[in-house]
Amino acid sequence: MSTPMKVALWISGSLFLVACAAWIYQLREGLILTNLQNSYSWGLYISGLAFFVGNAAGGLVLTSSIYLFGVKKLKPLAKLGALTAFANVTAAMLIVLPDIGKPFRLYQMLLHPNLMSPLIWDVVVLNLYALASALYLYILLLPDLTGRLARFAIPVDDPHAFSEKWAKRIAPPALLFAIGIHVVTAWIFSTQGGRDWWHSPAMAPDFVSVAIAVGTTVVLLAGVLAYGTGERYQDAYRTLGLVIFIATCIHLFLMMNDLVIHAWYGGAETTSIMAVAWGDFAWAHILEVVAPLLGAVLLLREGVRRSLAAVSLASALIIGGVFIHRFLLMPAAYNVVPMSLSPLGLPGHHWSLPIASGRFFPDLSTFVEHYSYAPSLVEIVILLGIVAYAVFLVLLAVSRLPILQREGT
Amino acid sequence: MKMGMVIDLEKCIGCRSCMVACKQHNAQPPNTWWNRVFTPGSHRHLTPPAKGVEYFLPVHCQHCENAPCEKVCPVGATYHAEDGAVLIDFERCIGCRYCMSACPYGVRQFNWEDPETAHQRAGYQEDYRFGYPEDHRHHGRLVYTPLRPKGVVEKCTFCAQYRDRGELPACVRGCPGKARFVGNLDDPDSEVSLMVKNRSGFSLLPEKGTKPTVFYLPPKVKEV
Repeated sequence: MSTPMKVALWISGSLFLVACAAWIYQLREGLILTNLQNSYSWGLYISGLAFFVGNAAGGLVLTSSIYLFGVKKLKPLAKLGALTAFANVTAAMLIVLPDIGKPFRLYQMLLHPNLMSPLIWDVVVLNLYALASALYLYILLLPDLTGRLARFAIPVDDPHAFSEKWAKRIAPPALLFAIGIHVVTAWIFSTQGGRDWWHSPAMAPDFVSVAIAVGTTVVLLAGVLAYGTGERYQDAYRTLGLVIFIATCIHLFLMMNDLVIHAWYGGAETTSIMAVAWGDFAWAHILEVVAPLLGAVLLLREGVRRSLAAVSLASALIIGGVFIHRFLLMPAAYNVVPMSLSPLGLPGHHWSLPIASGRFFPDLSTFVEHYSYAPSLVEIVILLGIVAYAVFLVLLAVSRLPILQREGT
Repeated sequence: MKMGMVIDLEKCIGCRSCMVACKQHNAQPPNTWWNRVFTPGSHRHLTPPAKGVEYFLPVHCQHCENAPCEKVCPVGATYHAEDGAVLIDFERCIGCRYCMSACPYGVRQFNWEDPETAHQRAGYQEDYRFGYPEDHRHHGRLVYTPLRPKGVVEKCTFCAQYRDRGELPACVRGCPGKARFVGNLDDPDSEVSLMVKNRSGFSLLPEKGTKPTVFYLPPKVKEV
């Protein structure tokens, strides 16, 4: 193992452990350690769920390209795709845990699942996708499980043919689960009729498009870091860059489509949504549009794809921009108290009924009608720790398993 | 039997007695209020809005027939009792707060910390306790406990602990203006059904399709 790899493993592993400690601290004290309160009940953790779910789409893109559309040149990246998918989908499940008030009761989901709840659907598809990604990765690794890894290989006559056959067989259901995690995660939000910002049929398709953009970026970045920017995989990188660009454009279109409809109609709810979106968070909104677009445009250029630094920068723009996009899921939904009405005798006037915050703020009234949320240190540490977990898992797998294609194979 | 509540806004004097009765009887932790009374259109309670009329609006759980909170709950901790009240099983709630997000009325409250710690933080006198002192189970499910577990969601139960022995909710009993009524909405001749029918009873956010079982009777226009 090389020294930089060791250092990276140590740093990411330690960060994850720090996050675990922060979670244990939060378990003891309660979610009071977050900056959430009753009127703003989901924050950085649930934004993290949406973020990691999106990042996990790399597996989906590669599997479908290789086995449904026959893009063979992407094959060397297939294992990286499955690996990043597994790391991110498990990270998505992990980041939900600290958001749960009573995590030791999660077994209730098995004993008494409410089949109407999109959260139950999400747990099911996330687990199925994690399982499918792990299985898919194993099948792809099978022909290379030799030497000290041979004991992990199931005995088959022709591992190469077996791997090829089963990869093809697993691909369709894996694809279904892959699309499922984005659609169902979007439904968690878009089924909420009380929140106009979320209650949009465009949300599920938008989640799919963001995911394809950012998930592919994760694979491209991993590929460039692992294989470099030499001639060998330039063709594959070009294809990935094109996928990223198209998906980013579709995402921006769906987002703008939603905003235009809201803004055009100009109902009372819309006005308050827009005031939050373009008032307090105007800069973040500009960034969530400009950063991914700039990153995607950069990746279209061959010069960029041939430079490690440039690919990293472009990827950071896309991943960072999408993260801001995920964070912005919350403010326009929660900054405004949903229970609002036109008081009798005051038609046209819009009035929100304050909500009890549920926690003691020394300089804030018990009843709030507007709340500006910024994550607490504990929330930030836990989120970073889960990012570190995903990085750690990918690095460990790359250093210990035959994930990377050897020269000449 | 479909239980319902009617609140006569003509009779509501905005005194917030129901808020206090609710808070006390149900041992709500500091900064948790199941029931809230405000002056619509005004940023200050009991102060008329700059234009329009002054009236008061009490809002708590609307015990919806098509309750989004119940539908989103992954473990069925939120459920409909046989009389139509929406209850929370404190022993099953996992604290995911999906219901809080899904409720269009913002009535659901979370226990962000242990209630004992919350008492201290808010500066309550030591050993000062209030509220119905015993656990209450509705068909075996824990729907009321004076010391809430940290990390669960709570809200108005229509005072399940009292109704189960034939008594009225605390807000109904504690209302000096006698503005609150409870009855059977399935019976077209019940007092509540007739009030809704004859006095243009309305519900909150009808456009959300939640079918609340709490109805309001509009106030007459008052001098401001």
